[in-house]
Parts: sequence; C-alpha cells; structure tokens
Amino acid sequence: MQTIFIQVLMAFLGVVGFSVMYNIHGYKIIITGLGGSLSWICYRIIFHFSEGNKILSCFTATLIIALLSEILARILKTPVILFLVPMLVPLVPGSDLYYMMSSLVLQNSSLVKSYAILLAGEAAAIAFGIIIITTLTQTVIRSSQFIRKIRRIRAGE
Amino acid sequence: MNQQTKANSNENTLLVAALLDIGEMLLVSGAEVSRVEDTMERLGKAYRFNRVDIFSITSSIVLTVQAENGEVITQTRRIRSTQVDMEKIVHINALSRDLCLSPKGVEDLQKCITDISGTKKYPALVKLLAYPLISGPLTVFFGGSLIDAAASLISGLFLSIIIALGYKMKMQSLVLYLLCSFVTGLAVILLINLGIGASFDKIIIGNIMLLIPGISLTTSLRDMIRGDLITGLLGLCEALLKAFAIAVGFGTVMIMIGL
Repeated sequence: MQTIFIQVLMAFLGVVGFSVMYNIHGYKIIITGLGGSLSWICYRIIFHFSEGNKILSCFTATLIIALLSEILARILKTPVILFLVPMLVPLVPGSDLYYMMSSLVLQNSSLVKSYAILLAGEAAAIAFGIIIITTLTQTVIRSSQFIRKIRRIRAGE
Repeated sequence: MNQQTKANSNENTLLVAALLDIGEMLLVSGAEVSRVEDTMERLGKAYRFNRVDIFSITSSIVLTVQAENGEVITQTRRIRSTQVDMEKIVHINALSRDLCLSPKGVEDLQKCITDISGTKKYPALVKLLAYPLISGPLTVFFGGSLIDAAASLISGLFLSIIIALGYKMKMQSLVLYLLCSFVTGLAVILLINLGIGASFDKIIIGNIMLLIPGISLTTSLRDMIRGDLITGLLGLCEALLKAFAIAVGFGTVMIMIGL
C-alpha cells in the first residue's frame, strides 16, 4: 500500500515535469499531474483485480484517462492532446523496454520474445483505448447535434 | 478589371501561405496530422474557397485551394523537425475557432500568426531542469530507492545538457539518441562506482522514460487505426528506430561493464 502511495506521488511529479517539457502553463500543470496520478491508481486497481494482467490494466486505465481528457478538453476549451499525452506518461512501458533490452544483451531470446509481445500488446492497448473513446465521443456529439436539428425542424413546423 | 483580378489573386496566394503557416505551426508543435487536416479544411471553408484539398503527413503539408474566381493555388511545406509545444496548439486552436466564426483579412491574420509564434515559453534553465525532475521521480516510481533517485537526478541533468547541445548543433536525432543513452549509461556507472545509487536498472529506466518514444509509438498506431496509413507507418518506423538507438546506446554500456 505504501509503495503505491509513493508511486502515485512520483507519477504526479514526473507528469508535472513532462508538462513543463511540453510547454504547458498555469493551472493546467496541476490538472495533468493529478490526471497522471489517477491513471496510475486506475492501473493498479485493475492490475490487482485482473491478477497481474498488464495489458488489460493499461487498456482500462487508458479508457478512463481518455474519457477524462475529452471531458476536460470540452470544459476548458483546449485540445484533447494537451491533457491526454502527459496523463498517459505513467502507462508508457519504459521498464518493459529496458528489461527486453537487457535480456537482448544477455542473449536470452525467449525472454526477449515474451517482453516484445508484452510491449506490443501494451502499446496497442493504449492506442485502441484512445481510439475507442475518440470515436465514441464523436458519435455522441454528432448524434446529439442530429437530434437537436430534428427537434428544431419539428418546432419550426 | 484585369488589375482587380490580379490584386485578388495576389491576396489569395498570401492567404494560402498564411493558412499553411498555421498548419505548419500546428505540425511543428506536435499536433496530430488529423487535427492539422481538419483545421485547414475548416479554415479553407471559412474563407469561402470553392474547394479545399489538404494532404499532410508528419514531414510535409500540401494545400490546394480553388478560389471563388476559379483560380487554383497549390503550396507545400516541408517540416523537418518537431518540438512539442502545447501552449502554441492551444492558441492556434483558439485562433482557428475565431476565424471560423469571422474570417479576418490577410494582414490581420499574418499579425495573429506572428503573435502566436512568439508565445511564452519556459526559460531555458527551467527546461534544462525539467529533465532531471522527471527522471528522479520516475526512478522511484519504478521501484528505486531515494539514493537511486539522486543518481537519476544527476544523470538526468547530464542527459538534458547533451540533448540541449545536440539540438543546438542540429545533430541527426537518431545519432543524438544513441549518444545520449550511451553517455547517460556511462554517467550512471560512474555514479554507482562513486557510491551514489545502487540499482543500475532502476536508474536507467528513469532516464529511458525521458527518451522513450512511447507517445509517438501510440500516436502512430492511432493514426494507422484511424486510416492515416502513411503517417502511421512513418511514425512507427521512427519510434522503432529511436527505441533501437536507445537500446544500442545503453546496451553497449551494459556489454562494456559485463552486466
């Protein structure tokens, strides 16, 4: 429990650093930092309940973060990627890349293979998570516009 | 009459150039290709061009418009390097929203664009210090101890100085990544030998997170799923090559010390 608390805190600090690197200013830094912490909390919760399925945890955390950043972007009238990119930083599988590399150096080819599959799965999970939410919000917005249009036409009649 | 058309066409050419400036700024600041295409198309419609054809990949934009008088104008831009700058994207987004509601004249538009290109940035020192402030916490995040974090901070500072110098010297990005990871790896070993930091892997992971093209990898997959195949392939290729360069850099160090 204590390690998770430290990790969440460190995720906040790291994401704040990335926000500075991406030239994000003002109160938005705090929002992205908190979002980064949230993404790690989601990841750990799913990780716990799915008995250590990294890909599923990545996917679910991405879904939540992507939805959150779509909502924040609509409220604050900013592009979605401003929130999405920094908030997803804790999910980037840097450690798996490292361990793949080190097993490559140690010439342990079966480990390399399993890490490569894991990495590809995690990257695909994050990408699909974002795509699903983007498509979903676009569909909701378009259909709500459509419904409004129909209502207006009816009211006109 | 003839002169009138000539003035009009000149204005249209300037307008297309201004629109491309906006698109270029978006791409350079790290916006997705789909956003660039979408923005340009909206702006073209707002300026009442009969037809707007925009094609963009990560390294180039082609814009062809057909003006109301039937004249066809094509201009292209080549984008060589990108530097993520979210603040700029925010400003351009706001500008394009304004323009779609009420299109401005060419001169006003050009002035707005120069205003945006001078948006506030963090001072160079803050940017330099951002790197160690990322690598330190992330080392702890991936399971390092506090002393590892200290080593990670120092090597992160090394890394940021090398990257800043490399950008200044306009070094090829792959070579820069290779060099960065190699030098950082050496720095970490030196620090461990000096007694700062214990676990080599955790310190390196904290620094890898600074270099890792995770975002561009997922973006490229997203582009491909959405249907921007060329952009997706380019991004994927670049991300894989970068990951390879990082692996070679750190891997060389690991082989050297016999890990």
